[in-house]
Amino acid sequence: MSLKVLIVDDESDVARYLAMIVQANGFIPKVANNVEDGLEIVNDFKPDLVCLDIMMPKESGVSMYQQLRENKATRHIPVIIISGAEQEEKFDFRNYLPDESVPEPECYMEKPVDVDKYIAMIKRLTTGDSIEGGGNDDEA
Amino acid sequence: MKRDTRVKKVRRFNDMVYQCLFEEVPFNVAVIDREYNIVHANGNFTEKFGKWQGKKCYTVYKKLHQPCDECPSEAVFETGQVKVADAVGIDKDGRQTHYVGHVAPLRTTPDGPVDFVMEMTRTITGTKSWQQEYQVLFDRIPCYITVIDRDYRIVRANEAFRNSFGDVLDKHCYEVFKKRTTKCRNCPARKTFRDGNVHRSNQKGTGKKGQDIHYAVTASPLMRSGDDVAHIIEIATDVTALKKLEHDVLEAERLGAVGQTVAGLAHSIKNILMGLEGGMYIAARGLKLENNEMISEGWEMLERNLTKTTSLVRDFLSFAKGRLPSLKPVNPNDLVEEIIDLYGAIASESGIVLRAELDQQIKMAPLDARGIHTCLTNLVSNAIDACQMSRREKCEVVIRAEDHNGVLSFIVSDNGKGMDYDIKQRLFTTFFTTKGGQGTGLGLLTTRKIVKEHGGKITVKSSEGGGSCFTMAFPRNNLKALFHKDNTVE
Repeated sequence: MSLKVLIVDDESDVARYLAMIVQANGFIPKVANNVEDGLEIVNDFKPDLVCLDIMMPKESGVSMYQQLRENKATRHIPVIIISGAEQEEKFDFRNYLPDESVPEPECYMEKPVDVDKYIAMIKRLTTGDSIEGGGNDDEA
Repeated sequence: MKRDTRVKKVRRFNDMVYQCLFEEVPFNVAVIDREYNIVHANGNFTEKFGKWQGKKCYTVYKKLHQPCDECPSEAVFETGQVKVADAVGIDKDGRQTHYVGHVAPLRTTPDGPVDFVMEMTRTITGTKSWQQEYQVLFDRIPCYITVIDRDYRIVRANEAFRNSFGDVLDKHCYEVFKKRTTKCRNCPARKTFRDGNVHRSNQKGTGKKGQDIHYAVTASPLMRSGDDVAHIIEIATDVTALKKLEHDVLEAERLGAVGQTVAGLAHSIKNILMGLEGGMYIAARGLKLENNEMISEGWEMLERNLTKTTSLVRDFLSFAKGRLPSLKPVNPNDLVEEIIDLYGAIASESGIVLRAELDQQIKMAPLDARGIHTCLTNLVSNAIDACQMSRREKCEVVIRAEDHNGVLSFIVSDNGKGMDYDIKQRLFTTFFTTKGGQGTGLGLLTTRKIVKEHGGKITVKSSEGGGSCFTMAFPRNNLKALFHKDNTVE
């Protein structure tokens, strides 16, 4: 059974691109363009991983991340923060959320993402395997 | 016989007058012989200095056992001239007392030598103590205090002033404060000399070590009622540290703003780059899978993100441009109608009504037509977007131009999506957008900048679901002043 990835980004082109990449690699993507929709989809879609943008107009990705971690049903879902806000090597999640009772996300990736690295990370976080994932649908 | 009796009577009368004067005069009076013995003294003297009979003056006045170093009586015995001097003595209760003395010669024969002197002293202990307190206050108060005469020469300066500006007495204030050879422009002292009123000013001077000193100075007249201003007292507070702090804060704010702008710009560029990469990725996959729909989707994404690049560059340049508005008299209604023409079709395609409410009596106003066109374009485009995002069936955008109470206003209102509190708070923040990839987050910022450059103000009223109303208000006085300035400079 294919693994499911939720992508939350207010930039619809970015969300579409990230969704296409995961789909091409055998995952089932779903897109939300804001936090409100994202949280709603999480409940029904039950993703295996969430890709989350930080800077969104109404409610930030950090707020969604905090809500995911505070909810028993979703706190186990690995999260990749994907944002253009900071460089990967300089990213410090505590600058966005100083509350140390909330654990840090599994990964931060800077836009534009390196496709191979992005897929490898999704595979590692969902299956623990960085070589084989859900398979590539080009061959399907 | 009768004449002798009358003479005696007159003498008795005179003696009585002199005796009364001697006793009642408000001075301590003592008569001293050449050996410094006090031979006579009045009641005031006795009350102040105690028993004097058979004592030397220096013993009574100063509790000394030998004559004083500087003795005014000795000088009067020698010169026969009246002498005035002040001194410090000790009264009958052992307290230090300051007094000023008037010493006059007394002769037993009109042309003979001075046989006695009469010392009339008055206690000034209270005045002296007040003077000392005043001096301490004058010197130690943490302000610069100077007294300046009509030639702009410093006749008095306190310790704080001397410490910062050096030895300054009799020098011109402008030499001392500013190292100038001529009087300063905007000199508060000059104004006070002219009208007798208090004048204040902020100035920058040069200290004795060449350091910059910023000070806030108040010039007050020193004059008796009805007289001209003979002197001015200048009290200045050193605000150098405050100025430095102000400069540091501004610098930090400026760097912060630059950092924020660069970070926002980088964020926008990264999103566009990702959109471009996405377009290429989807198109490439479409080609690989021979899927025309996918090729077309990728191509459209590429086009869209190239357009975004153009918009970002254009908006950023427009925001960053530091040009002053070029004001020319225009009819505000014409500017509104241009926007209706420009956006009418776009709005109508989305089923949105775009209309103008114009005041036909509106007067011409000096405006930068291009700048106001940019502002109205931004506001109307935002209003149309807000309507498109709304679930309301019939949306409309109204542009109004009004002229009330000397204020020209352009009002753009819509009944679209509206904004909640958080969005309103972040509305004028660099690169803030509610339109995802469709906006650059610079439109409102640019609009506010242009409005401010016109001496105006932009305000917003909005409620979530109820629509928004942006008002650009331009006080005509400000427009007139800017227009006048523009034309004067030219």
